[in-house]
Amino acid sequence: MLEHVINGLVLGGTYALVAMGLTIQYGIARIMNLSFGDTIIAACFATYVLFSSFAISPVLALLILVPAGYAFSLVIYRVIMRPLVARAPDEGALEVDSILVTFGLLFVIQGVLLIFFGGGYTSYSFLNTPVNVLGTVVAGNRLLAVVLSLLIGLALIVILYRTRWGMILRAVALSPQNAPLFGIDTDRAARTAFAIGGAMAATVGVVVSMFQTFTATAGVVFTMKALIVVILGGKGSVLGAVVAGLLLGLVETFVAAYIDPGLTLAAVYGVFLLLLLVRPNGIFGKA
Amino acid sequence: MLELENMTVRYGKHLAVDSVGFAVAPGEIVVVLGANGAGKSSLLKAMAGMVPPEAGAALRLHGRELIGLPAHEVTNAGIALVPEGRGVIGRMTVEENLRLGATPARARGAEEETLAQVFDIFPRLAERRGQWVHTMSGGEQQMVAVGRAMMSKPEFLLLDEPSLGLAPIVVGDLFRALARVRDTGVGLLIVEQNVRISLRHADRGYLLEAGRLTGAGTADELMTDDAVRHAFLGGDM
Repeated sequence: MLEHVINGLVLGGTYALVAMGLTIQYGIARIMNLSFGDTIIAACFATYVLFSSFAISPVLALLILVPAGYAFSLVIYRVIMRPLVARAPDEGALEVDSILVTFGLLFVIQGVLLIFFGGGYTSYSFLNTPVNVLGTVVAGNRLLAVVLSLLIGLALIVILYRTRWGMILRAVALSPQNAPLFGIDTDRAARTAFAIGGAMAATVGVVVSMFQTFTATAGVVFTMKALIVVILGGKGSVLGAVVAGLLLGLVETFVAAYIDPGLTLAAVYGVFLLLLLVRPNGIFGKA
Repeated sequence: MLELENMTVRYGKHLAVDSVGFAVAPGEIVVVLGANGAGKSSLLKAMAGMVPPEAGAALRLHGRELIGLPAHEVTNAGIALVPEGRGVIGRMTVEENLRLGATPARARGAEEETLAQVFDIFPRLAERRGQWVHTMSGGEQQMVAVGRAMMSKPEFLLLDEPSLGLAPIVVGDLFRALARVRDTGVGLLIVEQNVRISLRHADRGYLLEAGRLTGAGTADELMTDDAVRHAFLGGDM
């Protein structure tokens, strides 16, 4: 039982992080980034290379890859997204354009990964030692993953809700047309938010690669789960992303353990449909 | 000194504001009176950098040209707009709205003092500091809007019909509060339809009709002006 709770939290924690990154990009920069999952996979492979070729531990890799994810997304925003933002007559047009462009970007990232790493399953062994938690044995890397997810998720929430910087980002998400009256540079907020999303993707990539095998084409699974979590939690709600992410992780693990592993996806969509029938705007969504 | 010259705003073929010019001094309340569709909102939006004016317009703050700057830089330069619809962020608390107002570099250092000043002028905001703005009454939201604008330490405050949708007694309180804002040395430019209350607190005023300034005078002169009486007050005072 406890084993499943912990495994559910590990899975749910990563879902929550992915969804937080996606919802920050979408809520503030108004870009629905379909290449988000592929950015995660790129970070998985980068961690793998750092670990197996340079003996850099994944925890240290965070210090390299998180800033790299930030910088990568900043460049993507400047080069690819900025012209779309400039020409979009309204937010709706920007959403459609950004979906098409990031859909293309997905295949570019995937293609590059396929060239370098091929299409096979990749993994490495890090901290694969059993740890006793309240009488249940859990792999050390999973435990580390859940601790890292919690710390990073918490840090992001503190930044968003307790600092001026976070307040500025939330203001742009809530009221883009009024934000300039507060002296807020909405352009700068948008690219910062997009870059923070990239840093989150890198974080998830590092964390996930510690305990899961991955392939160059697995990015779309992350993006899809993240979209479900974002919609479930309420578009633009960071808190909703956390709650919905954890919920989804627990549901998946319990269904796999007690009913049938083949039904996890069905269960996910079941919860998804049920919640949307009751709360069409998501758990923390605005009417 | 805030000087506006030759301000023209066009939406396609529609001429919303037609070569308007005037000046506002620090510590002065100037009101621009105009009916619906006279171009009041367009005038203020263009001054605040939210809509682009036609070429040839000039807006100088102590000699510095502001036309062409994006809206957030106009705010940073010391001009705060309270737009129609108030421009507050409903899903944030009163205190968050106010503190967010102190985002410009010019306002950061004095944030706590300005906040105390805002709470002194609007004690209700101090009582309600943790409340979500969208759950407040129209009058209270207008207080948040004015407080937010004050937090940016503006030299000039532009207000778009602050009395709109408020009960008369609330309007009276609001204008008395605005007079106290003026006492801190801020110049106020108010566009209004509510002639009586705005002229009672203003020093000078202008008449705006179909995008053009058609009259000017001290508040007392305008109060007894025939054109104003006809346009807004239905003859009798």
